[in-house]
Amino acid sequence: MNFQWPPEQLAFRDEVEAFIRQWRTPELLREYHENEGGGGTPLMRRYYRALQETGWMQMCWPEEMGGAGKNPLYRFILIETFEYWGMPYGNLTYTSIAPALAVHGSEEQKRRFLPGIWSGEYCFAIAYSEPNAGTDLASLRTRAEKARGGWTIQGQKIWTSLAQQSTHIWLAARSEPDLPKHQGISLFIVPTGSEGVSIRPLRCMSGLTTYETFYDNVFVPGENLVGGRGGGWNIVMHALNHERVGLSPTGNLARHYDLLVEELQRSAPQKLRDPVLRNRLAELRMELERHRALALRNAVTIADDDVNAGLASMAKVSGSELRHRLTNLAMDLLGRPGVLTEAAGGRAACGGQQQTTWLMSPILRFGGGTNEVQRSIIAARHLGMAR
Amino acid sequence: MNPQLDETQLLLRDTLRQFLERELSFDRVRECEREARADAALWRTLVKQGWLATPFPAALEGGGGGMVCAGILVEEFSRRAALIPIAEVLTAALTLQRCGAPCGGLLRRVLAGEAVVTPAILESGDSFYGIAAEALPAGTAAAGESSWLLRGEKCFVDYAQFASHHLVAAQCGGERGLYLVESADPGVKCEATPALGRIPQAQVRYDGARAVRAAGAEAVGELVRIGRALTCAQLLACMEVSLEQTVAYTNLREQFGRALSTFQAVQHHAANMAMHCEASRFLTYEVLDALERRSADDRQVALAKASLSRAAPEVLMTGHQLHGGQGFIEENDLYFFTLRGKDRSVAWGTAEECLALAATGVEQKARWL
Ligand SMILES: Cc1cc2nc3c(=O)[nH]c(=O)nc-3n(C[C@H](O)[C@H](O)[C@H](O)COP(=O)(O)OP(=O)(O)OC[C@H]3O[C@@H](n4cnc5c(N)ncnc54)[C@H](O)[C@@H]3O)c2cc1C
Repeated sequence: MNFQWPPEQLAFRDEVEAFIRQWRTPELLREYHENEGGGGTPLMRRYYRALQETGWMQMCWPEEMGGAGKNPLYRFILIETFEYWGMPYGNLTYTSIAPALAVHGSEEQKRRFLPGIWSGEYCFAIAYSEPNAGTDLASLRTRAEKARGGWTIQGQKIWTSLAQQSTHIWLAARSEPDLPKHQGISLFIVPTGSEGVSIRPLRCMSGLTTYETFYDNVFVPGENLVGGRGGGWNIVMHALNHERVGLSPTGNLARHYDLLVEELQRSAPQKLRDPVLRNRLAELRMELERHRALALRNAVTIADDDVNAGLASMAKVSGSELRHRLTNLAMDLLGRPGVLTEAAGGRAACGGQQQTTWLMSPILRFGGGTNEVQRSIIAARHLGMAR
Repeated sequence: MNPQLDETQLLLRDTLRQFLERELSFDRVRECEREARADAALWRTLVKQGWLATPFPAALEGGGGGMVCAGILVEEFSRRAALIPIAEVLTAALTLQRCGAPCGGLLRRVLAGEAVVTPAILESGDSFYGIAAEALPAGTAAAGESSWLLRGEKCFVDYAQFASHHLVAAQCGGERGLYLVESADPGVKCEATPALGRIPQAQVRYDGARAVRAAGAEAVGELVRIGRALTCAQLLACMEVSLEQTVAYTNLREQFGRALSTFQAVQHHAANMAMHCEASRFLTYEVLDALERRSADDRQVALAKASLSRAAPEVLMTGHQLHGGQGFIEENDLYFFTLRGKDRSVAWGTAEECLALAATGVEQKARWL
């Protein structure tokens, strides 16, 4: 038993922090937020190119996938550090689509898409969810029909985030209506500008925008089918597993905690002298420790080449629910300055970040596999309880 | 013991609810939010229909309904997420009336819709205790009322720009009191401070603004008690609407070929929401009733507010969990209650502040019956 990080991994953390210090400018953060993480602006592209040159994004991939085969704990350190500093490390295009393409794509597809993804030129929106297919994703009804030289897509998707900023849509459609529901789904890459694609914005209460996307006889060339006919469900599940690892870092939560304490030190030092409030802060710290334990436990298991869906689900549930509790209590400790928005300028405690993150917190609880479903997974897979 | 509304109270509630469901669309509220303004037309209607006067005594040509009636008004308007200063005006005006402040003229104008008064208590320290704003005597005005000059800054003043008068907590030689200031006075400067709840609010500077002394230190305490109790009514409305919408939605929405409401996990969440709502309704009206009887002490009010401030975010976020993506977009009405609810949970004292007040009396044995 050894709970220490080895020196080479600590050295890596320092290297990542040095990179972040070099790139973390107000301009970059502004472009990132204004573009809702889309990444196509000049500064963001330069940043992504520099990030790509470090080789970090694929360093944990197996060598046959073009990676360096490093221990996945390096990736854990990378993500935790980027999350702490609120630095972009690529949206789902990098963390979910690229690995899925590397595993399931043809050689030609890898050549065609991966370099564009790594350079920041391509941005993918993910179109799985439909109005009637949320938790029950496998019941999706968007149709793909064989056409000359390819496929035509007909149907509607919802919550296609980044659709407006994207160059491509990564879309799951029913291509084999006669097969059982999980076996009849295929995965297509649809260029966003294709004829017949239309996009409607949906404004979220957090200020973010997501989109509904409509497909009216959209033609997709045959070479854009990924992973073969009926192979879509496997790919969707693969991609979601990657998403699940990235959904539960401690870094971003720890940053909100530090921001809270710094704000209290600056603007309400008398509160920090109150032993009751100090206990509340200590309690939050304890919850962060508890979450760090679950997140790290999951990461170490993945690093040992073991798959334990129950541990991944624990990290997901714990992180998403702590995000709500932490920001909620932060606002209570800050009082009314804590619910002022960024638009209130310097008067807003923590720059309005606690309330923004609180408003975003529901997505992480019901997105990426809802917490109700995750708890069932913990019961079934981790505890072996009967379904 | 009867926690139910009586017939007159029920009639008021039902009339208001039906009227608002018919006349106040959520899209109209969205428009006010976009323009960051109060709904002036709705305020005029409220006055014209005589509703604003219902809690006040007959001497002011009111309906004599008291605090419970005030709670019903606040609850019903909050159920439609209305952007009007109903809680603020009732808090200020009922405080003045109950403390016997010599402000009959102003109260009549408020009930006639000619004036709107909002409390201005908190300063940058966000504390009900540390009041630094100063009132300085400035001779006797023509009308015979003694006149004062106000100096200082108030923060988080709800509807500051919509109100014609601010009821400002200030001190003179260390003695606290409430002072009335016209918001149009050249010595008053408001700057909007946008907040989570999208309720218009401002930071206000008083630079030698002319003021009238309305009441002494005891009125500041009453103002906070009433403000807290009516905020409970707002929180209650947010929680209950969130629960009602969630039950309706999960009955309709199907996944895996069945209604969401048939899944046990969903039912358990909804049951938790319901327990919070039931307890909150009882505590809110119990405290309003105690205030009416002048038997509520600071700690009872604070405990109720702490309870609702804690419960509301739980209930609201569970509502979101059960709505999934649909509850997250502004086309859906759920968000109004989430935003307003969290915002009000920190207004008039957070759960932490209220608990700190309750903590001063833990040795006192409570009477459970
Ligand atoms: C801002 C935003 C961005 C998004 N981005 C994307 C995107 O880019 N691409 C994409 O494809 N999707 C995206 N999504 C969709 C997201 O993944 C879905 O919201 C999620 O899958 C949940 O589905 P739903 O919203 O239909 O909720 P529902 O499936 O309707 O679920 C509602 C509630 O019912 C519960 N429930 C459902 N079934 C069961 C059961 N069997 N047992 C117990 N409880 C159950 C759920 O746990 C949940 O609490 C996004 C959503 C939002 C809001």
